Amino acid sequence: MTEVVIVTLFASGLALMVPVLLAALGEAISEQAGVLNVGIEGTMLFGAAICALVGVNVDSVALAVLAGVATGAASGVVLSALYVRRGTDQIVTGLLFNIFALGLTGILVSQVIIGNTAPTLSPWTVPLLGRIPKLRDVINEQNFLFWVSILLAIVIFYLLRRTWWGLYVRAAGERPHASSSAGLDVWRLRYGAVIAGNALAGLGGAALVVGTSGRFIPGFTSGRGFIALGVVVVARWNPLAVVAIAGLFGLSQALQFVAGLVSFFEPVPDQFWLALPYLVTVAAVAVSRGSRYPAAVGIPWREPASEAR
Amino acid sequence: MSEGSGGSAAGTDMRTGAGAAPAGRPRRARLDALSAIRHGDLIGSILLTIAVMAVIVVAFGGNPWTVARTIVNNSLAEEIFLGQTIMTAAILVLTGLAAAIPFTARLWNIGGEGQMFAGAVVSVTLGIMLPEGTPHGLFVLILIIGAAAAGSVWGCVPGLLKAYFGINEIVTSLMLNFLAFFAANYVVTVAWPEIYAQLQSQEIHDNARFPDFWASAKVDVSVFIALAAALAAWLLITRTSLGFSIRSIGANPRAARLAGVRTRLVTVSSFAAAGAAGGLAGAVTVGGVHHDLALDLWISNYGYVGIAVALLARLNPMAVLPAAFIFSTLRVGSNSLQAAAGISASFGEVLIATFVITLMVTGAIKFRYAQN
Repeated sequence: MTEVVIVTLFASGLALMVPVLLAALGEAISEQAGVLNVGIEGTMLFGAAICALVGVNVDSVALAVLAGVATGAASGVVLSALYVRRGTDQIVTGLLFNIFALGLTGILVSQVIIGNTAPTLSPWTVPLLGRIPKLRDVINEQNFLFWVSILLAIVIFYLLRRTWWGLYVRAAGERPHASSSAGLDVWRLRYGAVIAGNALAGLGGAALVVGTSGRFIPGFTSGRGFIALGVVVVARWNPLAVVAIAGLFGLSQALQFVAGLVSFFEPVPDQFWLALPYLVTVAAVAVSRGSRYPAAVGIPWREPASEAR
Repeated sequence: MSEGSGGSAAGTDMRTGAGAAPAGRPRRARLDALSAIRHGDLIGSILLTIAVMAVIVVAFGGNPWTVARTIVNNSLAEEIFLGQTIMTAAILVLTGLAAAIPFTARLWNIGGEGQMFAGAVVSVTLGIMLPEGTPHGLFVLILIIGAAAAGSVWGCVPGLLKAYFGINEIVTSLMLNFLAFFAANYVVTVAWPEIYAQLQSQEIHDNARFPDFWASAKVDVSVFIALAAALAAWLLITRTSLGFSIRSIGANPRAARLAGVRTRLVTVSSFAAAGAAGGLAGAVTVGGVHHDLALDLWISNYGYVGIAVALLARLNPMAVLPAAFIFSTLRVGSNSLQAAAGISASFGEVLIATFVITLMVTGAIKFRYAQN
């Protein structure tokens, strides 16, 4: 009995982690470059909607996921034109982008996608690890994108913390003026980070579609992008820590599926379990009070030459 | 937010003063096509919005002219639509104030949605639980005060976390939206479910309903709540010392702190005031518009659209009134688009978001940043 509960908890927890993990990795990259991308929720929505749209019409999971990533990157191009090029306020622009995405994906659902479902990914049996007893019951339940997301976390950790590019990006997010004086192209670094970050968020949205029922509904992401904003703060912009924190979120969300199996939890209303991930996010952000945003986050960068000094 | 670019804004302002570039230093070539209308401000953004909208409408197989006509006709032309527009505007005024007050201090209250739900949950609870025989005026007053208090308490949470623990208010106020929604979900599905309809609570007692003011258009006293709230917010911001502190933090947080502004107190108070406005929006939806709490309220996104309202009003509480009315027109008019032009009602959101984004792109809405 207990074993069933624990296996279910971890199997669904890890599956629920994937979209948030991908979005949080994307957010970590763009925040490290000094751009607070509140529009990540909207990007996830777009990624999910277009993934569902392509999936419905083409019947290929791979193409659907690629379409989600491409949509994310395209959102990144639009958002970076606003955040970086035009220097509009990042928080406000992001929020409006979310409203825009909610509206446009709402139209897509009622006009084009309607009730159709996209093909979904089935669990992938892992070659070696998949033979270990106990562990096998959990990880063989995960789809291919789970492993992609873990791999991406490692790659992004390496890129941000162990390469020159990563150092430049972080410099652009901490001291853009100094970076520019030292010869770095802050524009290009921020463009790159925002576009890459949004592509990851688009992948997160796609993972949500192909990892669940394949059916897209309005407001499908239900705040996962916002939770990703909290996850990166708690993880202190460390991509490996993001995995752990996103996993914690996934587990807290998975509790709703196992709560019914444990008699102890019976008097607790369902709504509590549904609300728990958000509560966990608030609590986790509140506890990580020492966490400090990169210094230039949220402040549009302007080239010193165009500044009247 | 400010008019014009002050010299103190070290890191930043929007590029409005294009001609102000130091002579002799080449400006970076502009890649974007939008720079031509940089000075067009409002006119430019309206034209740009219309252009973007026309593209979207055509892409979904509609006729832009039909869409425009439908929106105007179905929001203003008939009494019942006009009434709906006015009531929606009342809600948007309140959620707009919930954003405008803290934004003035550069505190990002994204929790208008949650504060509205907190107000709605308390209104519906009071409206069902209090004895049916409570005198009408008193009952309505209790509902209003209860909702404002609930929204205020809900709003204080991110304010307190920000003031005393330095926790980013964006994330916390956003998460509290979802928590308030699930509280509403509990009220609607477990505490007082309506037996005949799903995802809807029972109706509140007759005596708790806001008295009508223009009965044939279904407009009630909510309008006066919105007007009074806007006036109160305007007085708060422009005529009180708290308002002065709020504005000074918005202009330059560091200077304000050094000048002796009690930053923590101001942070919490502006969130509390914003929350009260958001809570009132909840009271209006329950006591005025619907007489029950329906979970549909969540997809109306009044809290988020309120942010757009506050921005269009350039955070001026009195300007929130016309801004809310404009967006309410777009919103209510869009409800008829499905039948008339074959475009989903979600188009209203797209329209509002695009309009405000283009306002920011063209520089009609500006934010100034002092370097921390």
